[in-house]
Amino acid sequence: MIPVTYRASFSYLLRHPWQLVLSLLGIVIGVAVIVAVDLANSSARKAFLMSMDAITGEATHQVIGGPNGVPETVYRDLRTREGLINVAPVVEGTVNVDGVPVQLLGIDLFAEQSVRSFTGETTSGEPDDDNSSLFLNFLLQPGAVTTTEQTALDLGIAVGDTFAVSVGGRPQTAALFATFAGDSNLDRVFVTDIATAQEWLDRPGWISRIDVRIADGDTAMLQRLEEALAPGTQLLSAAGRTRSTADMSQAFMTNLTAMSLLALLVGLFLIFNAVNFSVLQRRGLIGVLRALGLTRRQLLAMVLFEAAIVGFVAAVAGVLLGAMLGEQLLELVSRTINDLYFRVNVTAVSVSPFSVAKGLIAGVGAALIAAALPAFEATSYQPRLALTRSVIERRAKNVLPVVTLTGIAGMIAAIALILSSGTSLVAGLTAVFLLILGFALCVPLFVRLSSTLVAPLAARLGGTSARMAIAGIASGLSRTGIAIVALAVALSATIGISVMVDSFRSSVNAWLVQTLRADVYTGTLREGSMDPELIAAIRSIDGVVDMSTRKRATVEDATGRTQLRVFELPPESYSGAELIDADPAVAWMAWENEDAVFVSEPYAYQNGVGAGDRITLPTDHGPRQFAVAATFQSFDINASGLMMSRNTYARHFRDPSVDSLGLYLADGVDVDGVVDDIERLSEGWQQLYISSNAGLRDESLRIFDRTFVITDVLYWLTLGVAFIGILSAMLALQLERAREFATLRALGMTPGQVGGMITAQTGAIGLLSGLAAVPLGIVMAYVLIKVINRRAFGWQIDMTVAPDILAVSVAFAIGAAVLAGLYPAWRAGRSQPAIAMREE
Amino acid sequence: MRLSILVLLLLATAASADERSQPPSQLADLLSADAEGYASAIEPRAFTFPADHGPHPEFRNEWWYVTGNLDSADGRRFGYELTIFRFALAPERPESVSEWRTNQVYIAHLAITDVSAERFLVAQRYGRGALGLAGASARPLRVWIDDWSITEERDGAWRLVADDGEFAIDVSLVPRKPPVLNGDAGLSQKSSDPGNASYYYSITRLETRGRIRIDGEEHNVNGLSWLDREWSTSALADNQVGWDWFALQFSDGSDLMFYGLRLSDGSQDPHSGGTFVTADGIATHLDADDVEITVLATWDSPEGGTYPAQWQVRSNRLGLDVTVTPVLDDQELFTTVRYWEGAVDVSGSRFGEPLSGRGYVELTGYAQ
Repeated sequence: MIPVTYRASFSYLLRHPWQLVLSLLGIVIGVAVIVAVDLANSSARKAFLMSMDAITGEATHQVIGGPNGVPETVYRDLRTREGLINVAPVVEGTVNVDGVPVQLLGIDLFAEQSVRSFTGETTSGEPDDDNSSLFLNFLLQPGAVTTTEQTALDLGIAVGDTFAVSVGGRPQTAALFATFAGDSNLDRVFVTDIATAQEWLDRPGWISRIDVRIADGDTAMLQRLEEALAPGTQLLSAAGRTRSTADMSQAFMTNLTAMSLLALLVGLFLIFNAVNFSVLQRRGLIGVLRALGLTRRQLLAMVLFEAAIVGFVAAVAGVLLGAMLGEQLLELVSRTINDLYFRVNVTAVSVSPFSVAKGLIAGVGAALIAAALPAFEATSYQPRLALTRSVIERRAKNVLPVVTLTGIAGMIAAIALILSSGTSLVAGLTAVFLLILGFALCVPLFVRLSSTLVAPLAARLGGTSARMAIAGIASGLSRTGIAIVALAVALSATIGISVMVDSFRSSVNAWLVQTLRADVYTGTLREGSMDPELIAAIRSIDGVVDMSTRKRATVEDATGRTQLRVFELPPESYSGAELIDADPAVAWMAWENEDAVFVSEPYAYQNGVGAGDRITLPTDHGPRQFAVAATFQSFDINASGLMMSRNTYARHFRDPSVDSLGLYLADGVDVDGVVDDIERLSEGWQQLYISSNAGLRDESLRIFDRTFVITDVLYWLTLGVAFIGILSAMLALQLERAREFATLRALGMTPGQVGGMITAQTGAIGLLSGLAAVPLGIVMAYVLIKVINRRAFGWQIDMTVAPDILAVSVAFAIGAAVLAGLYPAWRAGRSQPAIAMREE
Repeated sequence: MRLSILVLLLLATAASADERSQPPSQLADLLSADAEGYASAIEPRAFTFPADHGPHPEFRNEWWYVTGNLDSADGRRFGYELTIFRFALAPERPESVSEWRTNQVYIAHLAITDVSAERFLVAQRYGRGALGLAGASARPLRVWIDDWSITEERDGAWRLVADDGEFAIDVSLVPRKPPVLNGDAGLSQKSSDPGNASYYYSITRLETRGRIRIDGEEHNVNGLSWLDREWSTSALADNQVGWDWFALQFSDGSDLMFYGLRLSDGSQDPHSGGTFVTADGIATHLDADDVEITVLATWDSPEGGTYPAQWQVRSNRLGLDVTVTPVLDDQELFTTVRYWEGAVDVSGSRFGEPLSGRGYVELTGYAQ
């Protein structure tokens, strides 16, 4: 049974559907963004973990080696000398099928049983499917692969087909000899014989790793294995490796989550706004109910119940919308993860109850928090006073100092938190939120002061109605304040993010200009190494006077993975790396000739090292110490690790491979001509990227921009929330003042004058919001750049504030506010004064 | 997870190659697919040792088959089987830069009959004949999968090493007789089809000494072993369902090998036959009708199928009349394809003189 009072409360909402819808929308969008980001993040992570699980099978440990993997003889010796049979070799890589990357998993069938316990069914082979032919194909036919039915479908291949693939840029022929059912975790994976994998990846003699299954607690076996391992190889826990890979993307995901919370925060202001209005508008009803004997507590419960119901309905809608939105977002998230961190193939959003619960709690919680203050306020009036509008404004004025002081305290707390929290990303993000809240609480005072100051000016410019419009903002602060705060917060967030991205981009651009010294760059596309003969042929192209080589390598030990970039550089290109903390002349000497490395800035930050320190790296001969000769500036989001000279690398790793070249041309040599020469040379030999200096810079920036597409999407969503907020605030504000307008109309104002006054007021609200947003936006950008980005990724970005970003934001605020005021203005102008005055 | 049954199916197929002279149906599909490109056993050839102890990769299948009866110093009795099979999946190794690419597959079975404890222990291994993971070489002899191996030691003894963790064997074998060529000078015809034959020799008596370990307990053992070596490119004929193989070592120093090929109509294929080896190593070929075998008892496998479990073996030509009794009924191997291979006792007479002995019997085609 719903008490009659509750029915009164809801019937009010139903009689004002627009207000209801708008207040719902704020929560809907806020919740949707949270849920979408959460789903995208968790789906990407889950997909990665599941596919790793599928691939690792029951392996508990893995034997890994250096950048080239593990010599295959290590595996042989484990079996033949040590008699270990719970080990299985894996050769892993990527093949390209019509531009679609597919993971290649090369296994030894004979060893598999002890490590991966596979079940399931092969669903297709030959029609009369005798498995012996599958067996023969698998082992004997070079290029024979098997995959899931779904993957075959996706790639448009059928059992029996032979098709072209590209591996490390080299053309190869694959044959699909069987497919197997189910398990989407093995989608986009080709399973093949280890020999085929070695042939394709051109890695004879090497395997990627050895999977090992050791029973829980079998420390004897663990020890036996560790003792049997060759130098340069290590035994690591499989789960640990998977986790540390997944964790590489943690900072990125945390930032996304923070941005989604920002959207909800803006949504919070909206609901606060909406509930506040609905309470204000019903002050008559509340007064009557109080007079009829309802207790304060009953009233409070009524308002909160209403908020909870509205919040719940909106949250449910938000979750649904979020699930849909999540699908879109997931594509962006997984693309970025693929660009930056690791291969992940996500086919669908997996809606977890946990994400849904988070969304619902956030929605209802936001509604309750937002409703609490107005509800408490409304119920605290004396029944008679509750009927009076002026009382509320007076009270609003009275609490203003308290609100402002709280805000200042919040901002101080934010600064203190930043200063005291070291490198904690979560603490940094918390500080950002504190800062926003603190600032938001200061906005009402700002509005009051500025509108009081501006009102006389407005009168001189636009007459009485303009003065009334502006003064109305201050006198209706309890209503206008919230709207302005909501818009200002949303705008400041967008300013902060824009300035951050813009600064980042220009830093990256400057860095690229400095780093890219060669005239032409060429190399393998995603992985694999260049054919040495092809390198020699390219080197001897007319006009090429010098060449640098690069190799991207990864070394790993129990502490995680370290990216190495191995360079052979002509000395004149040394200036390409900006060394921050050492004398270049000394540092380069050490780098070339001693066991010394340069560490990238992010690496230095995350590991707390710099010039003069020593670090330990796993090498082919076991762990070795290297001196840090210098820290270099780096915005390389793919491989922010160490820079090592080819000489040093050759001393410690048996790996002569090179994955890209930088070519230096003689003066006056046509760059495009050399690019064409390389294209002709490599055609049909090995597919390479070939790019001029400028081309590579553009390409790098394009990838940079792609990485921030997600940021853009969230940016627009936040603005969307802000716009709805301002619309709902304007609507409610003007509706609430319908009687006032009617009075003005009755006093002789034309509909145009009333409409103009309303428009002027909304425009001024927009302007004030925009102005308030600018300082907060800049402070936020500063914190995002110097605190959040540094803590999340280790980058040192120079902050540049482009004035146009600020101008656009203010213009948007005014535009949005005016737009939002149009309908109320039109309505107010059209209403019949007599009817409107009677309405209450 | 589900990288699929593929692996299991493929292994099942490979493992079904367990059988002695002919693989059963699934593997037959694999092996009978196309014999072209392989060498075939068409006519008698010259055997040379030790070269022929080594592999003959041009033939499709080959095995090193060792069985034996051993006693420990404290009176415990054991039977053992260590077999390494080689299968070629194609006549040639496909060209490749990868050492893993191969056309040769190896499978090994280890079985130990712990007679006193009435236990029968089995383990198997697979490996590709590549990269040194599994393989065979002639000089010196070495046949291996992982750390299981049959190796010729410096002193000429054959050393067998196989450890499955739970149980293990490490024994040295010294031949007491020279190799004998079975069939027609080593050409063992399995049906009337030309080429449906194998090259087949045995060393019927090897003095054996070493250790068996079961559940962490070491036993010093000694006794006699039997080596069978066979290679071919043939498969079972359509009307053949299985075979019974006897390898008996008698107390008078003589040995008998006899195999009976069973036809689908229940009769014995006339291509059955055997070899009798005297104490001083002189071999005599036996035709199908030289030996008469009567089943005296049967054993129902708990997994289904009924095996013969006692025989009367009679040969007028040899003056032989003995009863052959398994030391344990359940010596059935579930190595993907089921077969029975077990230690047996022999008692009876030869030319009226009492005769005893031990041996091994293999039974295939009784259970699927």
